[in-house]
Amino acid sequence: MEKDIKNIISDSLKINGGEYREIRIEENNSTRITYRGDSRENISINSGIGGCARVYSNGGWGFSSFNDIYQSKNKMAEAISLSKLNSSKSIDFQKNSVGKVLLPARSIKNPKNISLNEKINILEHYKDLIVNKKNINGCEISYGDLERKVIFSDTLGNEIEQSFIHVILRISANSTDGNEMLQSGFSIGSLGDFNIVENLDKEVNECVAKAQKLINAKKIEGKESTVILDQILAGVFVHEAFGHLSEADNVYENERLKKILKLGTKFGNKDLNITDGAKIPDLRGSYEYDDEGTPSTKTPLIRDGELVGRLHSKETASKMNEKNTGNARAISYSYPPIVRMTNTIIENSTNNIKDILKDTKDGLYVKNWYGGMTQHEMFTFSSAETYKIENGEIKETFRPVKLTGNLFNTLKNIDGIADDLMINQGGGCGKGGQMPLPVSNGSPHIRINNCLVSSG
Amino acid sequence: MEKIKNYLSGKFDQYEIYSSQSNSKSISFESNSLKEISSKQSQGTAIRGIKNSDLTFASTSSTKADNFIKVIEELSGYPIFAPINFPELAKKDIQVQLYSSDTYEFPNDYLIDQIKLSRDKILKLFPDALCDSGFNLIESESKLENSNGLEIVTKQSYSGFYVSVQIINNKDMLNIYDGSSSSLIINKDQITIITEKIIKYLKLGQKIVDPPKSGCSVVFTPSGLLQSIISPLLVSFNGSNIAKNLSKLTNKENNKILDEKICIYDDPSIDYSPASKNYDDEGVPSQKFDLIKNGKFISGYYDLKSSKEAKRQTTGSAGRSINSQPTPTTSNIFMEKGKDKLDNIIKSIDDGILIDSLLGAGQGNELSGDFSANISLGYRIKNGKLIGRIKNTMLSGNAFDALSKINHLSLETENIFGTINLPYLCTNNVEISS
Repeated sequence: MEKDIKNIISDSLKINGGEYREIRIEENNSTRITYRGDSRENISINSGIGGCARVYSNGGWGFSSFNDIYQSKNKMAEAISLSKLNSSKSIDFQKNSVGKVLLPARSIKNPKNISLNEKINILEHYKDLIVNKKNINGCEISYGDLERKVIFSDTLGNEIEQSFIHVILRISANSTDGNEMLQSGFSIGSLGDFNIVENLDKEVNECVAKAQKLINAKKIEGKESTVILDQILAGVFVHEAFGHLSEADNVYENERLKKILKLGTKFGNKDLNITDGAKIPDLRGSYEYDDEGTPSTKTPLIRDGELVGRLHSKETASKMNEKNTGNARAISYSYPPIVRMTNTIIENSTNNIKDILKDTKDGLYVKNWYGGMTQHEMFTFSSAETYKIENGEIKETFRPVKLTGNLFNTLKNIDGIADDLMINQGGGCGKGGQMPLPVSNGSPHIRINNCLVSSG
Repeated sequence: MEKIKNYLSGKFDQYEIYSSQSNSKSISFESNSLKEISSKQSQGTAIRGIKNSDLTFASTSSTKADNFIKVIEELSGYPIFAPINFPELAKKDIQVQLYSSDTYEFPNDYLIDQIKLSRDKILKLFPDALCDSGFNLIESESKLENSNGLEIVTKQSYSGFYVSVQIINNKDMLNIYDGSSSSLIINKDQITIITEKIIKYLKLGQKIVDPPKSGCSVVFTPSGLLQSIISPLLVSFNGSNIAKNLSKLTNKENNKILDEKICIYDDPSIDYSPASKNYDDEGVPSQKFDLIKNGKFISGYYDLKSSKEAKRQTTGSAGRSINSQPTPTTSNIFMEKGKDKLDNIIKSIDDGILIDSLLGAGQGNELSGDFSANISLGYRIKNGKLIGRIKNTMLSGNAFDALSKINHLSLETENIFGTINLPYLCTNNVEISS
């Protein structure tokens, strides 16, 4: 099989046509176990193989994906002919010579070595900690592990084989008073380490207590408010509020946006520093080479409040004449790589969270996340926990809230950044139909003034 | 496949095999130019086996029977309790049309020209606009067979067309999206309607005005209504949530839950709609059924497992993809129209908002019907007229509260994504904050 794949790849790349050609073959093995209500709802093991050919001609792409890898040559020919339909001016890609590379997966405790029985026993135990408690009407537990081997080769002479092992777990408890349905949960993840799934009794019990407490919690009235975000929600905030607009595929063919997002433009205060990078090791968004074979980097996006960088693929970097940052990623062989974030963080400042809190007369402390979305300069993100802050102290619990903002105002409204950076790996990012892509987000506690907040 | 069948019949009391293959192609324009033409081929097989009410599910995209059998064998040690019976084939007299052989055969050049025509119409009026637009065509064939002799082969065609337009003025980014889908090719007339609707909203959106105060009348376009209210509402009708007591509607049949003007039904029998079906994905015949009649809760939507758990009849609503078990899924959703003309509804409002699109809806506590989102496309109504676009404003509320008392339902309805038909709706029971 292994030798087959190598031959398939080299034979397919030999078919001439287009200005640049690449081929990617992937093997996946995944396990998924879910619980809902008071019972196990699904357990599946899926294995698959497939590939894709991508060709650049006339300023655009032809792409063809397939399950049957023995069709690769035909599919490369198809991608070549599709690419010829483009009719724009081509650009020369920056040269990229990596050569031949073979990288095994990072593995601390490989989920593949854990029996299905053991995985189920652990999850069953968490389920038992949740169900049959007062006012609790069920749990939602979703566990997944995925092993992905990617073999990439292109007409620049690069041949890269990389493997990844991902582990994710989301646990939540549903509560009800007979009418309202409420939920409290948490998400975690890791690159190659099953240990994170173990010893979570404390977290699960807390989750039950929080779900119970939500029943009597009031909804807030929608208004602008001072908010302190915990590290997890601040991570989601940086992803939505700034991360997506730093993806150069939004910008490279948009003259007006290029002016607005000119490097050197001020977006935040002096102590705001934002970084993205797959080169930051051992996180879910970490890798050595992206899905176009470009080496990964650690990219400063904002330094001292100023825009200093953005995330690129081969095409966007070449077109904008900036350095390729190696951020072209595809969720699987069914999709072409597009510009994506990897591990996105707000860097530590020097404040202590206790001081920031003490200094807040009237506001909200928002923690943990449900989700987030971005549409150009607008973004929303939602908390899973919300507490009132009164005269520097955390008081009563409210129902979860949604927060919204605008790139041009909200980053400038950050007026307190703490020194307690933490990274969350339980999230996934969606773009162009490709979701959930493994990413991580991190931040210290931050305070934002005049943030529009409403219940729900 | 024979090898798998033999294994399944020896191992289980009942079994089911679902396989599908599909070919798709898409043409994408980015920032007014053709950027990518892609083609995708995929296939897969899923099985379910039941022994003494213990159900095993497995799926694969590989064609190697031996590996697959090994996985099924392992998974069968950890079954799920599901006291269901796979159905026998129930004959249907009238077959809904789901396939046209023409759809997938439309040449790339023709599709590219259609996209360009739409783009040029927009650029003529708004030279600074950037259009991302495209076509997506799919041809698929699925086969469902079970140990009760059922065998159903379904061929389906699909075409989808979309346009997303962005105009940037200083630091304001106006973004408008629309599209449609069908089993037939999206034709010139449909593209014209989509394009003209976008142009109408682009014109209206040029002027930015202040948002009104909370408590004002809110009119939802069919698309705004779906995103904000109907989507969270339908979560409570999902038979799986009803069965697991995760819905407000558990055991509430025939209770009045919404304004009596509201009637919502599910109809899988619309010819050439991509959500239509003759049989659901477990082989149960699908037919039209009421979700809400005159404000009263009539039924949720169920597959075999959830209907058994909730002690209700299945509504033939099982939907599935290869890698997951069947779950209750809606087909074409209709809300019955009202009596008021849209123009008259807007004329009757002194101060209010027309909401067409939301950002971040559906990312909160949907089980309770709660919603909250940034109004990404909304217009202020003042003295009976639309006067401009509002920004940095949030909508929040609860789907059940919002529909408990409504002011107006429009005579006009619109089709969203080709599968959902809704009127315009006016209510005061939502919160606006800015």
